Amino acid sequence: MTLIGVPGRSGVIAVARRLAGHLARGLVMILVVTTISFLIIRNIPGDPMAAKYEKLVEQGMSPEAAQQAVNVLYGFMPTGSMWEQYLDYMKGLARFDLGQSLNVPGTGVGTVLMSAAKWTLIPVLAGTLLSFLVGIILGVYAAIKRQSKVGDLLAISGSLLHGLPQYVLALLLAAIFTTLIPILPAGGTADIMFEPGFNAGYIGSLIQHATLPVVTYALSSYGGWILAMKSSVVTVLGDDFILAAELRGMKRSIIFRYIARNAILPLFTILALSLGMLFGGAIFIERIFNYPGLGLMLIDSITGRDYALMGGAFLLITVAIIIANIAADLLYTVIDPRVRSGGEAA
Amino acid sequence: MSVTSDKRAPGVRISDLSVVYRTGAGELPAVRGVDLELEPGTITGVVGESGSGKSTLALSMLNAVQPPGRIRSGSVEIDGLGDVVTLGGDDLRKTRGRHVGYVFQAAQNSLNPLKTVGKQLLDLGRSHDVDDLPGLVKEARSLLDRMGLDGARVLDSYQHELSGGMRQRVGIMLALVLNAHVVVLDEPTTALDMITQATILRIIREVHEERGLTTLVITHDLGVVAEIADRLAVMYGGRLVEQGPTREVLGAPKHPYTQGLLQAIPRLVGDIDEARALPGRPPTLGTIPPDGCVFRERCAVRMDVCETGEPPVLTIGPRVVACHTAAGDGEQKETVTTGPTRGEEQA
Repeated sequence: MTLIGVPGRSGVIAVARRLAGHLARGLVMILVVTTISFLIIRNIPGDPMAAKYEKLVEQGMSPEAAQQAVNVLYGFMPTGSMWEQYLDYMKGLARFDLGQSLNVPGTGVGTVLMSAAKWTLIPVLAGTLLSFLVGIILGVYAAIKRQSKVGDLLAISGSLLHGLPQYVLALLLAAIFTTLIPILPAGGTADIMFEPGFNAGYIGSLIQHATLPVVTYALSSYGGWILAMKSSVVTVLGDDFILAAELRGMKRSIIFRYIARNAILPLFTILALSLGMLFGGAIFIERIFNYPGLGLMLIDSITGRDYALMGGAFLLITVAIIIANIAADLLYTVIDPRVRSGGEAA
Repeated sequence: MSVTSDKRAPGVRISDLSVVYRTGAGELPAVRGVDLELEPGTITGVVGESGSGKSTLALSMLNAVQPPGRIRSGSVEIDGLGDVVTLGGDDLRKTRGRHVGYVFQAAQNSLNPLKTVGKQLLDLGRSHDVDDLPGLVKEARSLLDRMGLDGARVLDSYQHELSGGMRQRVGIMLALVLNAHVVVLDEPTTALDMITQATILRIIREVHEERGLTTLVITHDLGVVAEIADRLAVMYGGRLVEQGPTREVLGAPKHPYTQGLLQAIPRLVGDIDEARALPGRPPTLGTIPPDGCVFRERCAVRMDVCETGEPPVLTIGPRVVACHTAAGDGEQKETVTTGPTRGEEQA
C-alpha cells in the first residue's frame, strides 16, 4: 500500500535503491566467480607449454623446433605459489588488467577479447533480436489461433526448431546455401578481395558472410520464443481480468493490448539472460562457419591452456550476465507496477 | 408488472434457457430449461452449490457463456434491449458494460495488473465512445466516494495496492459508471471477511435503490440472499428447483433441496449437531441424470415417480416449485404458512 499517488518520484527512488543493491551484490558475485574460475582453470591437467608443444608437434614440427618455439612462452608463464598467483591476478583485475594472453603471446587479454567480441556481438545480437520479434508476434498469433490448423503448425514449427540441435541446423543450412544452391559464402567474416573499411564492397561482403550465422542463430532460438510466448499468452487469456474486460464491453484492440503487455512481461527475463549469454559466443555456429567470435576463442583458449584468456572470457560472461540481470530487473521496475512497490503487496 | 418506483429500471425475462458444454462425452447441459423473471427494480438472488449452473446462468445474462459452452435455446429479454441471446458482434459488446453491468467474484482479479484503475476507466470510456471522459472520471470518483473510498486515490492505484473489499467496490463502480441499469453480481462477497461482506451488501442494497437498478445476485450463501434479495431462486443440477419471495421461501421451503440447504446451516445458538449436511454430492456436468428429478439421489422424500418423471413446475401464488412431492402437497395447501415445520427458523 505504499507509493500511491506519486509513482514518478517514488519510482525513481525505488530504481536507485535497487540499483545500489544490485551493484553491491554484483561485485561480490564477480569476486566469487573469479575465485572459483581461477581455481578451476589452474587445476586443469596440463599446462600452456605442454599444450603448445603437443599442438606444434601434431602440426608436423620436429620435437626440437617445437621445444624452442615453446620456450618463448616462459616469460609469460605465471610464477610463484598458487596463492601468490591468485593475489597477483586479483590485484591486476582491480586495475582492470586482465593479464597477457599465452596463445597470442604479448597481447593483452582485453585486446584479444575485444577483437573476438565484435564478431560475436553483432551477428548474435541481430539473431537474438530477430528471433525475439518474430517469435513474439507469431507466438501471440499461435495462442489466439490455437484451436486451428495455423496455430498447430506454428507451434509444431517452434517445437521442431527448438528441438533441432544448433549444429545440425547450421550444417543443414551450410549444405543448402553453400553447396546445393551456392549463393552464400561458406565461412569467414569477409572476402579478402575487399579492403576492410567503410566501403560498400567490404560491408556487403560482411553482411553476406554474416547471413548464415545470423539466420542459424535466429532460427534455432525462434522456437523457444514462440513456444514461451504462446504459453504465456494462453495463461493470460485464462486470467480473470481478460474475461472481465470482455464483460465490460471493452474494445477488442484494447483487450489485445492488455493481453500482449501482460504476456510479454515474463519473457523479458529470458531475453535479458540470453543477451547476457551472448558473450559466451555461439560455439557451434562459429566453428561451422569459421567465424572468429568469442565461442571459438574460448575453445582455443581452453585447448591451449591459456589461463589468462580463459579467465578473461569467463569474467566477461559473468559480468555480462550480471549486468543483463540488473538491466532486466530495472526494466521490470519500469514496466511492472507490482515490482515497483517492492513486492510488499500481494 | 412493469410499474415501479423507478421507471428506468428494466425488467428481465429469462425463458426456457438451456446452456450446454461440449465435452468428450458430447454436449452436456449446465443450465436446463430455466424460467426466471427479474422484476424491474428488484434484487433477485440465485443460490446453489458449486456446479449448479448459477455462474453459467449469470454469464448468459450478457450472452457471454465461454466456449466450449453455448446457449442452446431460450431467450433473455431485457426491456429496451430485446433478446440478448440474439445479439452479436459490436451490438453485444456495447450492451455489455453500458446496459448490463457485471461484477466479478471479489477474490478474482478483475483488473489489469499493469494499469491504474483510472487508466482502465478511460479504456472503458473509450470502448463505449464516451465523449466526456473528464465527466466519466468525475462520475467514477463520486461513485467510489459514495461507497466510502477515497475516489481520487483509488483511481490512481494499481490492483495490487487495493484490498479485496476495495477491489470489489471498484468492480461495482466499473459496472455502474456507464449507467447500466441491469447489474449482475457473481458471488459479490465470497472470500471477504464478515465486516467487509456486510459493508459490501449494504452498499449493493443502497446503490441498487438510489440508481433504480434491476439486480441479480449469484451466491452460494443463503445469508447473503436473506439479507438483500427480494426474490430468491434455488438452483440444483442446472435447474431452478424453487423460487419465490425470499422471506416465504426461507420461512417455508417447499422443495426438499431448499429444506436441506437451510438445515445444513449451523446456528449460533443451540446444538451444533442440529446442522445436518445433505448426504451425497451435487451432480457434476457428467453425472446429471438425463431423466427424472436431478435431486432424487440425495432426496429424503424420494418416490418412484422421481426416477422417470420430470418434476412438474408448479406455480403457487408468487412461488414456483419443481417437485413431485409438491404436486400432491401444493394444491391442498395454497397458503404457505403450514409448510414443513423443520424449515421454519428464520435464516
